[in-house]
Amino acid sequence: MSIEVSGGRRGLTDPALAAIILAAVPDQPLETQRKMNYFMTPRGKRINEYEVLCCYTQPTPDWIPGGLDWGDWTQKFHGGRPSWSNESTEMRSSDWLKHRDPAFRWHALYVKDKAEEWRYTDRFLRAYSADGHVRSMDPVWRDEVLGDYLGAFGFSEYGLFNSHSSVVRDCLGDTLRMSSAMIGLDKVDNAQMIQMERTFLAKLVPGFPEATDIPKNEWTKGTIFKGSREVVQQIWQETYDWNEILFSGHMVYDPLFGQFVRREFFGRLSSYYGDSLTPFFINQMQLYFSQTKGITTDMFHTCLAADGRFGAYNTRLMQVWANKWLPRTITALKDFMGIFSKIPEIKGVSDKPAIEAALNRVFDDWKHDFADPIGYKTDTAALIKTVLSGLK
Amino acid sequence: MAISAATKAATDALAVNRAPVSVGAQEVHRWMQSFTWDFEKNRTKYSTKYKMANDTKEQFKLIAKEYARMESVKDERQFGSLQDVLTRVDAANRVHPKWNESMKVISNFLEVGEYNAIAATGMLWDSATAPEQKNGYLGQVLDEIRHTNQCGYINYYFAKQGQDAAGHNDARRTRAIGPLWKGMKRVFSDGFISGDAVECSINLQLVGEACFTNPLIVAVTEWASANGDEMTPTVFLSIETDELRHMANGYQTVVSIANDAAASKYLNTDLNNAFWTQQKYFTPVLGMMFEYGSHFKVEPWVKTWNRWVYEDWGGIWIGRLGKYGVKSPASLRDAKKDAYWAHHDLFLIAYALWPTGFFRLTLPTAQEAEWYEANYPGWYDMYGKVYDEWRARGCEDPNSGFLPLQWFIENNHPIYIDRVSQVPFCPSYCKGASTLRVLEFNGKKHSFSDQWGERMWLSEPERYECQNIFEQYEGRELSEVIAEGHGLRSDGKTLISQPHTNKDGKMWTLDDIKKINCVFSDPLKAL
Repeated sequence: MSIEVSGGRRGLTDPALAAIILAAVPDQPLETQRKMNYFMTPRGKRINEYEVLCCYTQPTPDWIPGGLDWGDWTQKFHGGRPSWSNESTEMRSSDWLKHRDPAFRWHALYVKDKAEEWRYTDRFLRAYSADGHVRSMDPVWRDEVLGDYLGAFGFSEYGLFNSHSSVVRDCLGDTLRMSSAMIGLDKVDNAQMIQMERTFLAKLVPGFPEATDIPKNEWTKGTIFKGSREVVQQIWQETYDWNEILFSGHMVYDPLFGQFVRREFFGRLSSYYGDSLTPFFINQMQLYFSQTKGITTDMFHTCLAADGRFGAYNTRLMQVWANKWLPRTITALKDFMGIFSKIPEIKGVSDKPAIEAALNRVFDDWKHDFADPIGYKTDTAALIKTVLSGLK
Repeated sequence: MAISAATKAATDALAVNRAPVSVGAQEVHRWMQSFTWDFEKNRTKYSTKYKMANDTKEQFKLIAKEYARMESVKDERQFGSLQDVLTRVDAANRVHPKWNESMKVISNFLEVGEYNAIAATGMLWDSATAPEQKNGYLGQVLDEIRHTNQCGYINYYFAKQGQDAAGHNDARRTRAIGPLWKGMKRVFSDGFISGDAVECSINLQLVGEACFTNPLIVAVTEWASANGDEMTPTVFLSIETDELRHMANGYQTVVSIANDAAASKYLNTDLNNAFWTQQKYFTPVLGMMFEYGSHFKVEPWVKTWNRWVYEDWGGIWIGRLGKYGVKSPASLRDAKKDAYWAHHDLFLIAYALWPTGFFRLTLPTAQEAEWYEANYPGWYDMYGKVYDEWRARGCEDPNSGFLPLQWFIENNHPIYIDRVSQVPFCPSYCKGASTLRVLEFNGKKHSFSDQWGERMWLSEPERYECQNIFEQYEGRELSEVIAEGHGLRSDGKTLISQPHTNKDGKMWTLDDIKKINCVFSDPLKAL
């Protein structure tokens, strides 16, 4: 028969083609090693599917630690700057491909989770609206706090999202790149969820403004978010070291400022103002925070701080970066204290002792999860005192 | 409306209407353009000579959660097919062995392209100023992660289920040994990520995706299917569903710079360079993989190329961009000539260097020789008789002590590497348009095979300094290079690469290669 086949004939199902194919197929497999990436060192006992599909996809030469390729770049930037280079970060590593997402999420698992959250969000919003929950919401909380300040916080999330673009371009490892893109997407998802909540409220509450101009004005010109806006801008556009971007955003700013705003302000206070809507979104953001924390602590603690050759140096550098970004974050939190003068005070909830307790929770968590593992010493009580001085 | 009035209105409205309400993705997306804000140091970290407009829109208007829903649905179909019905019918063992080998290369090399596109679109996300445009590039970042995983899944599937796992199971480690790797890195890796951000977008989206993904990801599925492979169509067609958005991103890149004065100065030059960069590798390599890497043929590569590259892309797609001043590349005419013979020239060299591969190659059979001669008159006199000679000298038999590379040396046909594209060529034995040009710079010689690459190098030699394989391996004995590059099967002796796919044929070992004592030399040093 002719070897040129037409009309969409398929070798699997066309008997004439299949007979020729099967006659050519070896009687026994030619290779007994069937595990892809069998040569790699897995994080756990065995190479898992995430490691099979993600690890060593980065085609860097061996002079970028961890790479399996050799030689130079086949095309460089104008002027001769290399495609990827060790100089893109002050951090040092024996193996830039070592990082693992602790949840071992490759793309399919990541989008499956988020798709489920989307479907559940849609069902929740329909139930919430049909049930008339919005009637119980305190109007000042709803129109001023959610309309203006939650909306303004969306810009913080959006700015942090954008800080991941150069990380995705410049970082030196495959799993690092994939994780960075995913935690970046989670940040824009947060910004979009905030807008989604505002649009939803506008559908339920006549006159509720869903437009972004008022919150943007608050973000760009107001005092409550002044410090955070400056930090976000510095992380996003003034920081070139991709590790420093991730460290400043996810190891200092977000675990302190982000956690206080999301968990201790909007998450905790909303129920006191009859708001059962905001916690629904905040809890999704907190899930992302938790997943991101797993990722970035793996990057910085498990991989870089524990690096056999460069761990001590990396740890010192992280301490230097913490020294740089912590005061700015404290200023952001101090500025944010101004928001408490905008809401009706509830004793034991939004008064100074309650705020101080909330700050203690956030700083204790940060110390335990982020500072202690790199031996970073700081007086959290003094920091909290500084933040509280922002209360009007 | 005052707060109290609004509350009362809400309560009143709910009293008469308790219809469930939700928020659609489009209702969120329509605010996205206002998500950014101006500040003094708001600029990209990656320089471009173009200015991307602040108000550029995107066409697909996805938000994060809707993106995830869409992709998750596609994943369910795809992985359901692979893990269920295709596994139950033992589909990976019903693929023609020649095609099984081709997929070691196609899937892994495409994976590299997809992987680098993550970084490339990260750069574009950074470079764009319009939030919608950023959002379009962000979607592509995630898509490229998806495609990287999907391409890996093909090799993973073939390794786990198929007839010859070697090469599928370790392509990421062994791929760098051979002559096809560096050229692939130029088009699929560095060409996407190293340069002016818009130039990279043109390479990736306007040429790589809009032009070559059609033959690479769509046409390949016809060849796969004809040769018994239903895994590749299942995965690649799912990949292609995302490519449409990527082509739209490329289109929007051009739209975003259309009113910038730099566009009229540089855009067509950048497009011409990008087209030549991409076609210089893809035209011969894809043609070679399809025609020489299959048993059943769908159609001559030159026809596929003409339809997808010349007519569809060079005519229709670029024609649509004509209103923005975009013209078909000047190099398209020369590329059309390459589409006829370049893949035949390349296979001759690739087969001669077969021990450096991570796949098995097969000499054309008599039936195939007839097919080549019928579709490419003159094929036998140039190539067929050489393959007959190699076969007669026992090139498939490890006891013969004959490597086809020796034929090139004996007949004084040196093989050079084009410095810019890193594609090997033999100027004294080819039917394609390759001509040898040698230039010296900073005490080092550089060979080129065409005027377009030579021009790029003359403009910016500092961008193309990469060593080629002959410079890298000079003075090294072939078996050492193979062992160092992990080109062995799990028995530690047998080569992954082989010069045949005959199931009864003897496999070459490292000792067979060592006996020949083939030592690499740099042909440029002889000039």
